[in-house]
Amino acid sequence: MSTETIPSLNPARMAVFPTRGRISWFEIGLLLICLALVMSGIASNLQDVLLLSFLFGGLALAWNIAGGYAGLISFGHSAFFGVGAYTSTILAVRYGVTPWIGIWIGALIAAVFGAILALICARLRGPFFILSTLAFAEVVRIGALNWSSLTGGAEGLSIMPAPDLLGMVFASKTTYAALMLFYLVAVYAITKGLEASRFGYYLFAIRDNEDAAGAAGVDPLLGRTAALALSAALTGIGGSLFAQYFLYLDPTYVISPELSFQFALLPAVGGLGTAIGPVLGSFLITPLSELLRSYLGSSAAGLHLVIYSFGLIVVMLYFPAGLAGALEKLTRRGRSP
Amino acid sequence: MNTLVQLVLSGILVGSVYALMSIGLTLIFGVLRIVNFAHGEFLMIAMYGAWAFTHLFGLNPYIAAVAIVPAMFLFGAVVYWLIINPALDKPHLVVVFATMALSIFLQNVALMAMTADLRDIPPIFNHSLVVGSIHIKVELLLGFVITLLCTFALQWMIRKTYLGKAIRATVQDGEAAMLMGIPVPRIFLITFAGGSALVGLAACVMVPLFSVFPSVGLNFVLIAFVIVVLGGMGSIEGALFGGICVGVVQSLSSYYVAPAFGQMFFFILFLLVMIFRPNGLLGQQGAATIGMNE
Repeated sequence: MSTETIPSLNPARMAVFPTRGRISWFEIGLLLICLALVMSGIASNLQDVLLLSFLFGGLALAWNIAGGYAGLISFGHSAFFGVGAYTSTILAVRYGVTPWIGIWIGALIAAVFGAILALICARLRGPFFILSTLAFAEVVRIGALNWSSLTGGAEGLSIMPAPDLLGMVFASKTTYAALMLFYLVAVYAITKGLEASRFGYYLFAIRDNEDAAGAAGVDPLLGRTAALALSAALTGIGGSLFAQYFLYLDPTYVISPELSFQFALLPAVGGLGTAIGPVLGSFLITPLSELLRSYLGSSAAGLHLVIYSFGLIVVMLYFPAGLAGALEKLTRRGRSP
Repeated sequence: MNTLVQLVLSGILVGSVYALMSIGLTLIFGVLRIVNFAHGEFLMIAMYGAWAFTHLFGLNPYIAAVAIVPAMFLFGAVVYWLIINPALDKPHLVVVFATMALSIFLQNVALMAMTADLRDIPPIFNHSLVVGSIHIKVELLLGFVITLLCTFALQWMIRKTYLGKAIRATVQDGEAAMLMGIPVPRIFLITFAGGSALVGLAACVMVPLFSVFPSVGLNFVLIAFVIVVLGGMGSIEGALFGGICVGVVQSLSSYYVAPAFGQMFFFILFLLVMIFRPNGLLGQQGAATIGMNE
């Protein structure tokens, strides 16, 4: 792995807009803006929106490793999210294990779930793969609901709201925002590293032509399993962070088709198979959905999903390359005189 | 012994109703080579329609079919023009995401309009048919007969009529069919709308048997996919065969394994079939192991 190009940090060679496997000025600028927003002390409800945008950006990136890079379109990622959230929370609430450790155990278990899903779907392609991920998440959801001695069943699980560094519960939203931004940046760095790595090229090969990849010595099943396990582990970490912020696990939300759909929607709007796409998708959609939710309130249950899905249909039919595709067009215009 | 016969019989009858709901999916699948992820939501809408007819006008749902079936044909045609047709020449993923989004859209529109409450209609027939010690629900028997009639009519249509021949030609080789003067886009439209109309018929048969709620489609769409895989993609008699298999397995497992298993049944069965028989029971077509429309 040592001979591959690592993301270049040499300013003289840096591109303005995001390029595969390389850091650009655009990304650095975006990071600085995010940091400034975290530090700026904006109103509390805006901080909610900000840190949720970071968290869902990271989750969208994690989904994109399987869905965008390996071509494993999953509508069951909330299973991994839920596994991560439940693991760290159960360890903390029932066994007194600090979430700083529990998060990694949750990621590991989520990775195992991801590998199991990959093996279940080993021979499946296209729509059947997608439906299997949906069915898998439903099995996990119903299992979690019925195993109430462990998961608290339909009542869910609560974390003690007393601020505590060891318990990963903070008083200030700024700390949470910084934590979520760190998560986003970490998943982004992994994605960028993946783009430039041999493993990343294996995944592109499997996605684009599985038979040819197999003939060239890439093991498709191994690649798919590893990609899904990595994606699941990162999603599980996001789940644990979510639990640490909301301090309550609602079983009808943390593992739900609705949430799975959201993980897939953000990269689809932002641009599948690009690193910047899912981030842009989250920065656009998450504030939008939070605004809709706060304006419409609970009186119109489901309305924000109606608007979402309508938006997704329009985006898919008219801008299938997403926001990142639009950005790329801009770059091309910049290059050609 | 009597219990076993009873279970198998009601399994066959329920399975035939499942088959009716899957025929539309397998038709669309076989001809357009796309999967309509909103298939379950089409069923949900049609079931609400049938429920509304019974609820508002006191009509029998089997009579409501006269209105529901053409309405679903129109609905299918509109969806085809607005979403499917523009997506056909784009990458495979576009159809997947667009129909998936449509399914979420319809589900949440239903949630807003009808709330999450379960809707039922009052029983139509007060008594079951009793043969010896075997009880048969009349609604199920009617569903079975309607499915058989529908299967034979479709078979005849596909084999004998000009439209059926044009559909078969399109399935075999769309380009050659186009060169022979078959209006392939119109065949696609008719197939998609016709498949939706069949879902409408299935909904009228199912309303007396199952409750309606906004996410009812997810359970049934998974069953429909199992049936399509088991029976072989695009095969109408295969759908009948697959449906009956699923019905019998469900009826036996809910009695002998565990009733609480019922909630998970659809999902577990789907995954088991995907793991062990992704090529279908007869292993002929390989619907699940090939990527569609690529």
